[in-house]
This record gives sequence, C-alpha cells and structure tokens, in this order.
Amino acid sequence: MTQALARHWGALVIFGLAALIPIVVRDAYFLDSLVLILLWGALSAAWNVAGGYAGQVSIGHAAFFGIGAYSAALLGTRWHQSPWLGMLVGVTLSLVAGGAIGYLSNRLKGPYFALSTIAFSQVLLIVASRWRAFTSGSEGIPVPFRPGFATLGLGHVAWVYLALSVALLYWGVQLWLEHSRFGYRLAGVREDEEAAQALGIPARRLKVIAVTTSAALTSVCGTLWAQYVGFVDPFYVFSVDLSVRFALNAIIGGMGTALGPFLGSILITSLETYLRATLSGLKSGFTGIYLIVYGVVLILVVRFVPEGLAGLATRLHARWVRANA
Amino acid sequence: MDPARRLGPAQIDVFAQLGVSTVLLGGIYALIAVGLTLIFGIMRVVNFAHGEFLMLGMYLAFWAFTLLSLDPWFVLFVSIPLFFGLGLVTYVLIMKGVIHASHNVQIFTTVGLSTALQNLALVLWSGDFHTVRPWHASTPIRMAGTAFNLSQVVAFFIAIALTVLLVIFMRWTHTGRVMRATAQDRDAAILMGIDTDRVYRITFALGIAAVGAAGVLVSPLYAVYPTAGLQFVLVSYVVVVLGGLGDMIGALIGSLIVAAVEVAGSYFFGTAWKEIFYFVLFIAVLVFRPAGLFGQRGAENLGV
Amino acid sequence: MRRHIPLAVAVLALTLTAWLTGATWGQGLSGEYKLGVLEPLTGPLAGEGKRHLEGFEVVRDLINERGGVMGKKLVFVVADVPDPTAAASEANRLITRENVKIVTGTFSSRLCGAASEAAARHNVIYWETSCVDPRFSKRGLKNVYRTEIDATGFGWYNIDFIVKHLAPRFNLKPSELKIAFVSEDSSYGQGVTESAVARAKEVGLQVVAPVEYYNFQTINDMTPIIVKLKQLNPDVVHHIAYTNDAPLFWRQAREQNFMFKALVHAGATGYGGSDFGKAVGNDGNGVFALLEPGPGFKLDSLKPEGQKIEKDFRDAVQKRTGSYPLGAHQLAGGGLWLLKLVLDKSQSDDPEKFRAAVMSLDLPVGTMINGWGVKFSETGQNANERVQHYMLQWQNGQLVTVWPEEFTTNRAKWIPLGAWDQRK
Repeated sequence: MTQALARHWGALVIFGLAALIPIVVRDAYFLDSLVLILLWGALSAAWNVAGGYAGQVSIGHAAFFGIGAYSAALLGTRWHQSPWLGMLVGVTLSLVAGGAIGYLSNRLKGPYFALSTIAFSQVLLIVASRWRAFTSGSEGIPVPFRPGFATLGLGHVAWVYLALSVALLYWGVQLWLEHSRFGYRLAGVREDEEAAQALGIPARRLKVIAVTTSAALTSVCGTLWAQYVGFVDPFYVFSVDLSVRFALNAIIGGMGTALGPFLGSILITSLETYLRATLSGLKSGFTGIYLIVYGVVLILVVRFVPEGLAGLATRLHARWVRANA
Repeated sequence: MDPARRLGPAQIDVFAQLGVSTVLLGGIYALIAVGLTLIFGIMRVVNFAHGEFLMLGMYLAFWAFTLLSLDPWFVLFVSIPLFFGLGLVTYVLIMKGVIHASHNVQIFTTVGLSTALQNLALVLWSGDFHTVRPWHASTPIRMAGTAFNLSQVVAFFIAIALTVLLVIFMRWTHTGRVMRATAQDRDAAILMGIDTDRVYRITFALGIAAVGAAGVLVSPLYAVYPTAGLQFVLVSYVVVVLGGLGDMIGALIGSLIVAAVEVAGSYFFGTAWKEIFYFVLFIAVLVFRPAGLFGQRGAENLGV
Repeated sequence: MRRHIPLAVAVLALTLTAWLTGATWGQGLSGEYKLGVLEPLTGPLAGEGKRHLEGFEVVRDLINERGGVMGKKLVFVVADVPDPTAAASEANRLITRENVKIVTGTFSSRLCGAASEAAARHNVIYWETSCVDPRFSKRGLKNVYRTEIDATGFGWYNIDFIVKHLAPRFNLKPSELKIAFVSEDSSYGQGVTESAVARAKEVGLQVVAPVEYYNFQTINDMTPIIVKLKQLNPDVVHHIAYTNDAPLFWRQAREQNFMFKALVHAGATGYGGSDFGKAVGNDGNGVFALLEPGPGFKLDSLKPEGQKIEKDFRDAVQKRTGSYPLGAHQLAGGGLWLLKLVLDKSQSDDPEKFRAAVMSLDLPVGTMINGWGVKFSETGQNANERVQHYMLQWQNGQLVTVWPEEFTTNRAKWIPLGAWDQRK
C-alpha cells in the first residue's frame, strides 16, 4: 500500500490539495479557477486516452464536448429534463460519433487523421449554428441556473468536489490503461501497429474502443461545463481552439501518463488566468501580449520538453538516481 | 420556393457568371494552397500557421500601399524575396528542431506559431479592419454577360504562372529532383548524400514565399485584419489533400473543384452551408482516396 | 536525492498557488468607486470591444468632472473576455477579488449570457450596455439590466423606417414592396434578421426568399448570393453585415450591376462602421444603417440636460479619437451615463435600492446621450420607444443622421438608389 502511495505521490499531492483547498479557502474566484483546472484537466485526460495511450492524435475533440454541452442544454431548456439525463444522451451520441472517428482512425494516419477530426468538428459547428429551429442557431442556448443537485445548480465548493471526483475517475481510467492487459496491448498498437497485429492483437478494434471511450468521457465534461458556465455558444463549444486546448494540456503535462493532463492543466490554466488578469489592465493595445506568450511557450515546451512535465520529472529523477548510485 | 431551382433560358447567364466566379475563386485558392502543398508534400508537415503568413502578406501590401503608395502588383516582386527570407528564418528558428519529431510536436509547434503571429499582428496593428484600394480593385470587367474584377483576374493568372513555374522547377531542375527524392524516401535520400536539411530549408522558404505573395495579391479583394488567415486556411487543407501530396497541378485542379463545390453549394443550398460541402468532400476524399485525386495510391503513407 | 523531487513539486505547487492567489488589489483608495468592466480585447471581437472601452472611458471622465458617482471618483477594473468561459471566470474574479458591486460590458451576445449568470449567482448588479440577445431579459434575473434595445428592437425600427419613410418615396404600398434578407450568421446577425423578417411579414411586405445567411469569417465570394437575388429583383435589401463582408458584398454587387432601391442595415459594425467608408469611399453613398446619432444630429432637438451632456460627449470623443463618436462609443457611453443617473438617485449599490431607483426612472426621449430617454420594464430592459434609434446614411464618405427628421438637419438622398456610379 505504501509502495503504491509512494509511486503516486504526485497525484496524492495534487488531488489531496484540491480536496483540502475548499475547506481552507472560501474565495470564490480561487475555487472557480480550481474547478476550471480540474475540468480542463479531466478533458485533457479524456483526450489522452485516444491521443496519448492509443496514439490517435485528434484536433477535433471539441465535437464530443459540444455534443455533451448541447445535449444537456437542449434537454434542459426544451424538455425540462435534468442535465444528468442530458449527460446520458450526450454520452450515447458521442459513442456513435466516436465510432465514426474511430473508423477514420483505422484508415488515416498522422496529420491526415488530425485534419479529418477538424473537419468533423466543423461540420457539427455548422449544423449547430444553422439549425435555428432546434438549437437556436448562432445565438446559442443560455443554460438557466436552478439550485439543486438534480439540476446541477451547485455552489462553488460543491462544484470543486464534483470536478474532483470526475478528475479522479479519469485519472483512474488512465492508470488502468497503464496496468491492464488491454492497456498493454493498446500500447503495443501505439508503438508499432504492424508488429502488434503480427502478434495477433486486434489493433483496429482496440483503436476504435479507445477513441469511443475518449469521446464519451469528453462528452460528460462537456455537459458539466455547460451547467457550470451557463451558456452554450456553438462557435465556442465546437471550436478548433478548444480542441487544441484539450490536447495542449496533455502534451505539456506528458502524453501517455496519467498525471500529465492534470499537470498541464495546472500550468496552462494558471498561466492563462494569471496573464490575462495581469495584462488586461494595461493600455488596451497590449492585451494580445499574453496570447503571444502563450504561443511561444507552446512552441518551446513542445520542442524542448516533448515528454512533458511528468516525463521531465521522471528524467530528472533518473538522473539523480544515477548520480547517487 | 428557392428561385435557384427554376431552370430556363434566363439561367444561361447565371451559370456563365457562376462559372467565371468558380474559376477566379479557384485561382485564389490555388495561389494560397500552392505553398502549403509544397510544405506538406515534401516535409509532411501540416503548417497550421499558413493562414498567418498569408495575413502577413496582406499587411505588407497594406502598409506599402498606405505609407508608400505602392501598388500591390509592385509589392508582389518585393514580397517574394522578403517572404523567402522570412521562411528561412522561421525554418531555422522553429521548424528545424521539430522536423524529425513526432506529428503532435509538429502540429502544436505550428499551432503555437499561429497563435503567436495572430496576436503579434493584433498588438502591433490593432484589430481594425483595413483595406487596400488600388485602381484595379474597383475595376469591373464585363464580358459576355458575366462580370468580374481586374484584381481577381490578375491573381488568377499569377496563380497559374506560379504553379507552372513550380512544376518546372520541381521536374526539371536538380534541386527540384532532390526535393522530390527526399519527399519519397528521406532515409534513402540521406544515404544518397542529399543534405536533407537544406532541402527542407528551401522547401519551407519557397512555401512561405508563395503564400506571402498570395497575401499581397489578394489584399485588394479582402479586408486585412489579424485573423484574416482563418478565412482561407481550412479550405487550403482541403485543396491540398484533394489534389494529392506535393502535386502542384493536382492542387490547381483541386482548387477548382473546391471552388466549384462552394459556388454551386452556395447557389443551390445557401451560402451558410458552403463549408459543409467541402468538409464532407474532404472527409470523403480522406476515406476513399487519401492520396488525393491525382496522387499515387499509398503515397499518403510515405514518411508518415 | 529522492527527497529533492517532492521538494521541487512542493515548490511548484506553492508557486502556482501564489499565482492563483495573485495580488489582491482590494477596494481601492477611499474616495474611489470601482466598477467592473468586461470587454473582449483580444480575439475576433477585439476591434469593437476596444471601442466600447473607449466610450466607457470618455464618459467616465465626464462623470468624474461632474463629481463622480455617490461622491466618489469613478474608476474601472477592466477584464479581457474573449470567450464565454473567460466571461464567467473574469466576472467571478472581478466580483470576488476586486470586490466590485456592479459589473458592466460586454458588447457581444456570446458573452453577456455567461457573464450575467455569473454575476447573478453572486447577487451582484449586472449592467449590460450592448448585447442584443432577446433572451437576455427573459431569464427572471432581478439584478440584470440592459440599457440598449435588443435584436427585436432593431428589426422593429428598420422595418418601420422602410414602411414609413422608404415605401412612400418608391410609390409602393407595403404589400407591393419586395424585400430580400442577407445576413452574417453570428448570434447578432441571426437575432436582428429573424426579428426583422417577422416584423416584415407582420406588416405585409413581400419577403422574396428565405434569408441568405453566410459565415462572415469564411465568406470569400458573394457572387452566388448576388446572382440569386438579381433574379428575384427585390426593391429593398436588408443586409446585416460584419466589418469584412460589407465591403465585399458592396463591391461585388456593383460588379454584377445588381440594382435595388435601398440597402438597410442595423448596428455599429459592417455598414454602420467607419471601416466601410474607408473601404469603399463615395461608392458607398446611399446605404442606410440604424445606429446611434451621427453628424447632423440637431442638439437643439434634445431637452436642455440632454443637449449639454451630448455636446460634452461629442467633444470629448472628438478630442480623443479625432472623429465623431462611433456606434460602439455611443452604446457604451450612453449606458454608463444612464448608470450614473441611477446611482445619483439610489446613492447606493445595494441591489434592492438600486433596483428601486432603476424602476423609478422615467425620462423622455432627448434627455441623455444619444438622445435617449429612460423607462425600464420589470425585466430590466430599457424600453424600445425610449432608446431612440436613428437611421444614418452614407453621404460622401460620412455616415450622417437622416431620420427621424425632427432630430436632424440632413435629409436622406438617393431614394431610390439609381444606377451605380451615379450617386453623387
């Protein structure tokens, strides 16, 4: 038990802190940032299942996010159903959509696959923004806040624990992928698909399973996000920028590691909120600066620390062990 | 009832006009996609910042026009060496380090570059929309019941000329052959003593020069603002994939096909749906013929 | 040593915590009143967002010259909100970190929903000056107010103008007038256009075809739309455009020799923005845009208190930007001035007292900046009839006020438009 704890000390620190903070801190903005860090982290973890563990890098995951967000919003405003039901509907739809993307992943490689995922999310965007009769078109859907658990109308502290539960669950799913037979076979497919197939691993099926799971997990967070922020705007929920963001946290934190997405989310979300808060007060001409910094940081991290923060920590640790052997 | 559905003798003018628009729009897409085709075809890198270099070309034309009263057609000649240099610098500073890295690294490098460039433009030149209005931008040409714009026509012919030049370059010069060899099999090229770094450097620089020139040429036609690249960048990917990796003529034909799909789709179903048509076309091509309409089957797996 | 790594992580965690905690600027110096301002200063809406902020700043200075609000100097805490997540997040930050009791902004329909929800959850007053989403006021939120009319108001005014002012000059009865709708596809375009279509059908205009929507960010060629419309031969084209598509449509319509009797738009972007004039110059003569008042606006058509503040506002904007106030300036400025009037009456930012003051205000048209009046409904929406809007027309590179005629010295020209290149 202590062995396991020692191995996962990083997760213990992060999730432990997240659990303790709402008890100590009551500042709503801080809690809000914490919820966002956990949610973006969970979304990146969901992406990681397909991107990091299965090697299928998609820049269209916003498609599933949007499906989740719209399902909840539509069921809530049109048929007055609980967002939990909306979540289920979203998951079902995302499984289908994920299946389609999974099919594509078996036919396309690398940048082609990435481009096809972009196309997919943009098709959904156009449909959502034009189908006025059903989705209110470009005007989006305001999600009303109705207090209560069934309607996901929660206070900040409750949201922290909800987001934390989801984050822990997703972290667990990734860990399972690292230690289960399914996960080992998936890693084989990721590293060398042909060799894996030669060994009798059903590579195509595994990839589809990974992608559809990833889709469903993303959709759940989409639903949660919609209830948290309160407004579903098609140009945002289906945007390429958002898809990139999911991948970004995982890459910076460490693709293919369980904690990586969360590390990445901590860094990026904090950086973004901090920079935006600090720099937006400046003379309005300089407000784009934080985004320039953002872009440059991305280039640097992706080039010099490609294994991400988690990988970096492991690397440093190994170096220390060697130096002190 | 949608009036587009009625067909009769009066429609002939309509189709002629739509035909002309298709060809001219296709020319613009070709101009923009030619650089991307080169980079994607030879380096197998999807340059997500492609639209931003187009935007920079447009700004160059704008500032030259506003501050120095230079016509974009003149600035075109200056822009080619300028953007070639910019491409070299970008390659050495940013792309070189990731050319051998995994796809995700490459994707996110160019994505980061895209964000940085967009916001650099925003900070330097503000979010205001600018226009370049040389005399030829408001010069309509009317022929046989159709009407179009002189700037568009010139852009079209330059697109053709550029494509032809690049085809000649790729097919008949030594450097071109070397580039094609590297595209087909990088390892073999290295074994043959080819300096692949130099190949990539030139490829990238050429690609950026092409798109920078495109920016200058389209500046009289569209507004100039920091996110102007977004208008064209996704279409360019569709064109490149449709036409086949690295195939210039394929890109040209691909541009015409995409333009045709857009114009026809807009006319019969409404412009709001136009992107759906080429995205669906995109996915269809990817599923059924990922090598593109003119590429060799299986070519899409080389070097990927 | 192994020990170093936990230490490193701890340091990292602490650093991040420090970041998140950030510097708390507190309630500001005594003698200052902090107002939270949310505007998109980066991203695709940045151009208009910044002009909004400018309008706010100009009126803030005017307010401070007149003694500030509630005896204190008015200062802003500005936050950049490029998307809905940021809008909710930054609203939270301003409320909990900066302790603002009133949040204003946000210019765009995408943002006002999320921002106002966040404010409502904290029971903080939300004072919207520009977004036009009709559902904004229908959520039953007690402390959410909007000073500008919504999209239905725009559609209302436009059709009103067409029926009362244009149709007679074309010698057409409304039932004989053919109208075509073209629009950019964002929430603004859809909102205004759909309400205009509804009103057009109500008053019996002939709507010749379903609305031609397009995405302003990806539109490259308007020819298919223009060719379709040419065949339908409308009298009036109702086109809601953004900044890059308006000149594109106009240029291509001219190339195609698409003839129509009038083009009507609404709002401070597209045909209502200065960029259109810069892009097309005198070729743009004749286009109508529903906006806040422009040059030609007769000061003496306002009430005395309105004259004073409108003049000061115009002078201040002229001094700062070198030109007549633009739509964005006017919406922000008008909204802020109205906020000051409310605070003058309530002398408090307590939500109950504030609401009482808001509901008790009843000022006729002509009392404020832009010639507005005030009368809020129970839902927190300023009434259509009080938020006087004006039809402006491009005349020789300038947008001038032409309607209602009692408010302006200018008169509309080129009705009907006549041939291209002949509108001098």
